[in-house]
Amino acid sequence: MGDFKNDPDITLHFVENNTISKFYLIEGEKLDINDENGVWLDKSFADAKGLGIGDKITFEFADYRITKTIRGLGYSPEYVYHASSSSVIPDFNKIGFAYMSYKAFPEDTVPYNVLNVKFEGEPETYSELLDYHMGGYYSSFVERSEHVSVGQFSEEMAQHKMMGDIFPVVFILIAMLILLTTMRRIITHQRTQIGILKASGFKNHSIILHYVSYGFWLVLVGAILGLILGPMTLPQLFYPSMSATYKMPSWNPAWSMNFVYVAALMVLMSLAVSYYSVRNISNEKPADTIRPKTPKVSTSGFVEKLGIWKRLSFNARWNWRDAKRNKSRALMTIIGVIGCSALLVCAFGMYDGMNDLKEWEYSDINHYDSKLVVEDNASVSQIDNVAEDVNGDKIMESSIEIESDNAKKSGSLLVVNDTELITPTDYDRNHVEIRDDEVSISQKMADMLGVKVGDKVKWHIMGSDKWVKTKIDKIHADPISQGFIMSSDKLEDLDLNYATTSIITAEHVDKDYDGVKVANSMKDMTSSWDEMTESMWLLIYILIFFAALLAIVVLYNLGLLSFTEIEREIATLKVLGFKTSALRKLLLTQNLWFTAIGFILGLPVGYMILDVMWASSGDSFYILPSITLSNLLLTAVITFALSIFVNLMFSRKIKRLDMVESLKSGE
Amino acid sequence: MSKIIEFKNVIKEYKSGDHILKAMDDVNFTIDEGEFVVILGPSGAGKSTLLNLLGGLDSVTSGQIIVNGNHVESFNDNQLTEYRAKNVGFIFQFYNLIPNLTAIENVELMKDIVDVDIDGLSVLDSVGLKNHANQFPSQLSGGEQQRVSIARAVAKQPTMLLCDEPTGALDSKTGVLILNLLQDMSNNKNTTVVIVTHNAILAEAADKVIRIKNGQIESTVVNENPKKVTDLEW
Repeated sequence: MGDFKNDPDITLHFVENNTISKFYLIEGEKLDINDENGVWLDKSFADAKGLGIGDKITFEFADYRITKTIRGLGYSPEYVYHASSSSVIPDFNKIGFAYMSYKAFPEDTVPYNVLNVKFEGEPETYSELLDYHMGGYYSSFVERSEHVSVGQFSEEMAQHKMMGDIFPVVFILIAMLILLTTMRRIITHQRTQIGILKASGFKNHSIILHYVSYGFWLVLVGAILGLILGPMTLPQLFYPSMSATYKMPSWNPAWSMNFVYVAALMVLMSLAVSYYSVRNISNEKPADTIRPKTPKVSTSGFVEKLGIWKRLSFNARWNWRDAKRNKSRALMTIIGVIGCSALLVCAFGMYDGMNDLKEWEYSDINHYDSKLVVEDNASVSQIDNVAEDVNGDKIMESSIEIESDNAKKSGSLLVVNDTELITPTDYDRNHVEIRDDEVSISQKMADMLGVKVGDKVKWHIMGSDKWVKTKIDKIHADPISQGFIMSSDKLEDLDLNYATTSIITAEHVDKDYDGVKVANSMKDMTSSWDEMTESMWLLIYILIFFAALLAIVVLYNLGLLSFTEIEREIATLKVLGFKTSALRKLLLTQNLWFTAIGFILGLPVGYMILDVMWASSGDSFYILPSITLSNLLLTAVITFALSIFVNLMFSRKIKRLDMVESLKSGE
Repeated sequence: MSKIIEFKNVIKEYKSGDHILKAMDDVNFTIDEGEFVVILGPSGAGKSTLLNLLGGLDSVTSGQIIVNGNHVESFNDNQLTEYRAKNVGFIFQFYNLIPNLTAIENVELMKDIVDVDIDGLSVLDSVGLKNHANQFPSQLSGGEQQRVSIARAVAKQPTMLLCDEPTGALDSKTGVLILNLLQDMSNNKNTTVVIVTHNAILAEAADKVIRIKNGQIESTVVNENPKKVTDLEW
């Protein structure tokens, strides 16, 4: 606590040396172990408060009040992620840390309470060794990977890596589909030239080389540009939201040889795709190539034998046979649309998931307006007084570790007595009534541990070695905290101590109380949630952009390919007296069919991607892939609008189509 | 016989850069209902231009084209489309059938553009192709395809049949069959048939022969006693 109105919470470190979990200096002097009057302060906190080198700052703790001069500002690996117990998002205005020399401690002997140790070998061995030497007189043994800061950041990294696994695959497929359709369009378009080249004696392999190298250079330049521009641009977009949550000395794009491998893979695949596109034409005789491609023969299939065929319009019949005649084109179109709608479902599903989670957590489950976090050393009477004054309910929140036969997971414990301010629900938002003698486990935790109602699990509160065994009576669901909910009676039945950690109330509290560390309002929590989800927004926009790009490029390429092939037919129909609108409809019909098929198939694909994405969001989140009806409709509207938009580019050509010219070319 | 088609002082110019090409230079002629007309001329004389103007595929620079009392030269795009649909039956050198549709579907397709009830099978029967009704164009010979194309053109009961080198892609024997069919249409069903060709032999079979050269009418001759196509010496 310092001289600030909002009572910021600063964790003080009195250190004997700066060798493990080092203070990382950004500005000022190096941490001096013999400096009695200096303090090395959290840079984020200093920035939030406008503090600088040379300023004096006063800390109050226990019965002490010490004033020190700021010597340096920086970061610490223990505080990469540093949030108060009541909020997932750090508020640098309210929370911070400071390093000082052990000599700066107001007493001669410092009551050290943390020992940082670096060792080699298994943690279990060390833990046993520690037990032996300390005789159990220590409260907890935390491995580095279990440290909140390290753990949270590792989880974030794992999540990003998961995205890093999915997106390259999706985008490489998109790029190859785009290249394939583009190459086919170009080669069809330049068919006659290829024929002339062949007829004039150009060797087959030099023609193949020409087109393959065309694709090759295009992709090579694209890949190199991507390698340079990618790390320069995309990460920038994520820094603002990432740096709002995590404190790092600097945010720089990482470089990995994988980038080069992926780029090289793209280039290799482009060779294959280009070769595949030009292969057919290079095998033809020059005399055949120089003429327009003979259309594939139409045939009657079983569909024509059905009674319904006779009642179909010519439009439908024509389109059915055209699709049948050009199966690979149909397939590519459908795949393009699947890609587009899947990406859109994924994007909107993420949007809905984020909103749904917020709604679920902050209005369906938690109904309090303020949450007062109780100080560790607050007395029971202090707590009772505050609770009475604000008409609040006392709760206990704690980190726990649960072990089943299958797995061991860390989670959270919520102890709550008969309150209307926290109402657990199931996934469908139905209220789950947890009686005083019952223990309820969250759905996700139950899934992770592989347990169900009636099973028994072992668990302990973090920081205590006392393991207890509990039968699971109920299952509830919670989007952001996984673990147990029970009453204080039940907790004490299990022979564990109850200690209030927070008071929740429906009233808005902005008064300071003795024994209360900090008061958080529901508004604070939802706004910090909004802040954290900002990076999600970016991802959503990127997905929508690529969905549109994919649809437009693939549909344009294939549409042009198709239009070139049927130009003569369209001209004939126009000469015969078909109206432009009827011909537009003819072109649009097939497009709409494929869009409908692609859209429908795209939904489960999008769902699957979404599922993987949510699954990668970390152990504490419980979000199932779902999308609201309105966003599903929006996905449909966008997909169809893109498809119709691309189609219009061709149907505009119908009006300009030179009937006379189109009819001249012979067979 | 009543006058059904009239060209009055028709001029058609094509501009390419500063250069102006006169494809049709003050052309005047008339065609009567049910006439079997042959338009003759060397390549580049303006035969196709004449057919395109009459068929409503292109518009005149000046002059009048009167068909069934309508001034075709004043039509806009939509009116031209309707004019083509109702009045003109096109027969092309390369048949231009829709490859995705069977013979009968190619004929019945016309139901979509005119308010005429078309019995595809009986129309195909009239060109002798009843047994090929469900075959696709690619499964038919050139002559058969051209007959489907004629069936398609007559099915909508147009004011005239416009044929652009209808036998150009066929061997002479098949060609005679096709021309005979067209002449029968004219003689028996009172259909106006206009054939553009460079094959002068056909002149003897025509009711009227219009010769053009350099975009101008060279001569218009009415045959009092046209021969039957099958009696011509090919």
